[in-house]
Amino acid sequence: MRSTTVSAILLLTTAAAASGQRSAREIIDHVDRIMRGESSYGVATMEVVTENWERSMTMEVWSLGADHALIRITAPRKEEGMATLRAEDEIWNYLPRVDRTIKIPASMMMGAWMGSHFTNDDLVKESRLIEDYEIAISHDGDRDGATVWEFTLVPKPEAPVVWGRIEYQVRQDDMMPTWARYYDEDGNLVRTMTFSDFRVLGGRLVPAVMELIPEDKPAERTLVRYTELEFDIDIDESFFSLRALRSGGR
Amino acid sequence: MRAGPWWRIGWRNLGRNRRRTLITMGGLAFGYLAVVLLVAWMEGLTAEMIDSATGTLSGQLQVHDLEYRPERKVYDTIGGRDGADVEALVSEVAADPLVEAAAPRVYAGGLVSSGEATTAGLLMGIDPDLESRVSKILNAVVDGRPPQAGSNDIVIGSEMARQLAVGIGDEVILVVAAADGSMGNDLYTVAGIFSSGLAELDASYALLSLVSLQFLMALEPSRVHEIAASVNDPWLAPDAADRIAARLGADALGIEVEPWTRLRPEMLDYAQLARAWNGVIIFIVFAIAIFGVANTMLMATYERRREIAVMLALGTTPFAVVRSVLAEALCLGAISIAIGATLTLPLMLWFSNAPPSLSWLYGDFTMLGALIRPVLRVEWNPGMWFWSGVALLITTVVAALYPAARAARIPPADTLSGL
Repeated sequence: MRSTTVSAILLLTTAAAASGQRSAREIIDHVDRIMRGESSYGVATMEVVTENWERSMTMEVWSLGADHALIRITAPRKEEGMATLRAEDEIWNYLPRVDRTIKIPASMMMGAWMGSHFTNDDLVKESRLIEDYEIAISHDGDRDGATVWEFTLVPKPEAPVVWGRIEYQVRQDDMMPTWARYYDEDGNLVRTMTFSDFRVLGGRLVPAVMELIPEDKPAERTLVRYTELEFDIDIDESFFSLRALRSGGR
Repeated sequence: MRAGPWWRIGWRNLGRNRRRTLITMGGLAFGYLAVVLLVAWMEGLTAEMIDSATGTLSGQLQVHDLEYRPERKVYDTIGGRDGADVEALVSEVAADPLVEAAAPRVYAGGLVSSGEATTAGLLMGIDPDLESRVSKILNAVVDGRPPQAGSNDIVIGSEMARQLAVGIGDEVILVVAAADGSMGNDLYTVAGIFSSGLAELDASYALLSLVSLQFLMALEPSRVHEIAASVNDPWLAPDAADRIAARLGADALGIEVEPWTRLRPEMLDYAQLARAWNGVIIFIVFAIAIFGVANTMLMATYERRREIAVMLALGTTPFAVVRSVLAEALCLGAISIAIGATLTLPLMLWFSNAPPSLSWLYGDFTMLGALIRPVLRVEWNPGMWFWSGVALLITTVVAALYPAARAARIPPADTLSGL
């Protein structure tokens, strides 16, 4: 999960490091590199509220570069040990109850990840914003009492993405993102992600809380809260293999 | 034929050129046969479509929670979150005199996976004993057997089996988003493979025991999404649905009882369109026939113009001449109907008892999601026999109006003087 949400965050937050002279794309690219780190490890809880149920999960998240991530659920008991591996374009889930891994087919990439409002596609695409979108600064100045940048991301013509447009707001004083809004191809707002609880984790200032709210069901939400983050840990690609997925990621 | 000389004259005139009369009658009789058979065949096609669409899986009527359609969320089980007394509801539905059987069902969307292959599947939890009396899907199991109640058996479509590269006895993994938000997952054994001929069904449906899917979905045994029922005559399903809804007090329970005509309005529209086309067929065939009959009658009256001139000269009223010509046409039409019906009956008996296979012409095809077999299936429609006959009589009378009017206006003196 972290890989999805964080990547968006990272893009924005890194903008802080960039000078106003640079293009929006350069800012976001720079942010992405700094914030992703070469690798990372984190612990997060995810609360999902739907019309029909509420639940909370705790998970560990590892990432390496832009293409590899492993998420392992540690609580509650029913899901303990379930894991998701993202390697390049592929998503695999490990199901401890039956001790099997299954690959998510392309047709199910828009399906919900672990019952949350995030999709499997989010896990893959979050790290690709610079490749897939044309990025422009749409606003540079005051907004509700804070000095912010607002970026508009429009997909490149051939980009295999689902959004028609993404908008981000980043505070200029501390380079923290405040929200991201996702629009469909008709220009309708589909979901909003808001960032909060900015704090230093793993030596970097990050928003510890990300909340995703679908526009069509404002009473529903998925909230991810990082309690631990480490960057540039000692980890390599072999960690992100199917064998490792099955063995427990350690 | 009490009706006096004009009828007799008309009747006898038919015999004056028997070959021409017979040829005309043959044409009309063939028109009658063509209309009745074409309509019977079109109705057979419609009936085949409805039988297939409602009989393969869905049943002729279904009971749902009011909230269930059209989104079909897993939470909207009959009776809402609390569920319902499923057994009592099923037997209530089955108790309707028009209903043959009723069966409860649970639906879920999920992933079906084997090895590296994973596909999205529509999982359907069924009661195997009841289901076999409601739909034909279990009859379509071509390999293996239906799922046993309470087991981890799964029966999948032939196309899904091909995509997953699994056979009887192989393991598949199911992953579903359960009703409590958790990720239900378990191992199942492929007990059977069905081949319905409908691509969508064969590629995406998987049948398992009701109890087993409820457990996977974290649904109580009292929670089902649907009760499907079979009704012998699909056209009576709306009556049965309304009666069941009234007896159950459906509105108070928050459930709906819907026949296929309301669940699949596009299919009803098609059936009604096909019916409207029956009228068009009758119109076209008999519009062509009108010209044949008019030609015959014109010839007949032209040949007889001297005789008609004599009649007129002797004081016959022009109206009486018209009557004799119309009587002739009516007799022609009546005999044509008799011949047509006599020819049609054995053909219809043949087609309805042993529908000829048209597989040399075309294979199975699907229409509106229904499988149509390549057979010349016909439906009996007594009304169509009657109305085709009426149309034929009207045709002959209308066709005779102009020749009759011409005959009535023959100038006696000029005609008799040889002009």
